[in-house]
Amino acid sequence: MGLLGASSRGNEALNYGAIVDPSQASGVEHGSLLMEFTEAAVRRGGDLAEVRGRLAEAIGAAAVVDAASTMANFQRMVRIADGTGIPVDSYILERSGAAPERLGLTAYRSAANTFAAG
Amino acid sequence: MTTDTAQFDYSEAGFPIAERIRECHLRDWERLRGPGAWWTGAERVAIARQTRLAEDCALCRERAAALSPAAVAGEHEADALLPRAAVEAIHKLVTDKSRLSEAWYEGVVGAAGMSEERYIELLGVLVHVFAVDELHRALDLPLEPLPTPLGGTPSGYRPAGAAKDVSWPPILLPEHADPGDLDIYEEMRGRRPANVVSALSLVPDNVRWLNDQFAAHYLSWTEMGEIDKQHRRLTRPQLELLATRVSALNECFY
Repeated sequence: MGLLGASSRGNEALNYGAIVDPSQASGVEHGSLLMEFTEAAVRRGGDLAEVRGRLAEAIGAAAVVDAASTMANFQRMVRIADGTGIPVDSYILERSGAAPERLGLTAYRSAANTFAAG
Repeated sequence: MTTDTAQFDYSEAGFPIAERIRECHLRDWERLRGPGAWWTGAERVAIARQTRLAEDCALCRERAAALSPAAVAGEHEADALLPRAAVEAIHKLVTDKSRLSEAWYEGVVGAAGMSEERYIELLGVLVHVFAVDELHRALDLPLEPLPTPLGGTPSGYRPAGAAKDVSWPPILLPEHADPGDLDIYEEMRGRRPANVVSALSLVPDNVRWLNDQFAAHYLSWTEMGEIDKQHRRLTRPQLELLATRVSALNECFY
């Protein structure tokens, strides 16, 4: 949640509802394909090679490396967060407003690490 | 299989992998194979090996799919170099991390052969090896053989200023750090570090590793603050869409 909307200040076209419901348009260029790639990689989807090929055609091989390394980076960060029980930083929580609840993120089990800490 | 000399040879990868990433992965393997503060080099490489085994673990898959993991009986095969609780923790952190709790954490650090410091170093080793492997898997590259461990004794270093704060384990905040550890928060420029950074600080070398790999795989902390600059081929909204989608797929609130 820490990055939610960090880059969307002044850009009303971005829709972060797409991160929990990929059928929604994210407003991000090639957003659907990037999310398909992310899901195939994280969930070990059998379609990873095919999605990666389409992504490479759309954004180029070097940008696919960016996508893969970003996915890998956050596969690390979620394990640090969940493995240490950290709450979301207070300034991020304030900036996010009602978005976490609206997106259903507060239903995640690890949300308790934030709200139990007050 | 282990190797004395890591290659991370991406010349046949089919993707132009940036040199900053390759150089970081070479440093990752050097960090991995040496003694840490609480585990020997051989034990750290054993943690990495278990991290890989968890990926294809049938017991973990069954537990992750169960309504309650406790409903699925069984134990992982013992590792000659690691306490049983360490093996169980590694498998859980790789395959079922969204169901961790403070009670689970207390059980792990209180188990035979474990401690808060050993848990945090284990987590540090696990996540950095896992991230390297994840990048390889996403691009269909073979996993790099694990490195041959170096000898030597763990330092036993625990920062004197580490204390319980917002996370389950104690952390080291800048205002309580000895001068020799202040570098871990250098890029924070006096601000309180993000919780996900300080979370690993009971073992300061973990944070040094995190800073290095985070910058190579994603952006440096300084670049993260430069919202309007484009540092990678993907734009900032594209990077953040990917990042937040990973969190959502993992049901990670943070």
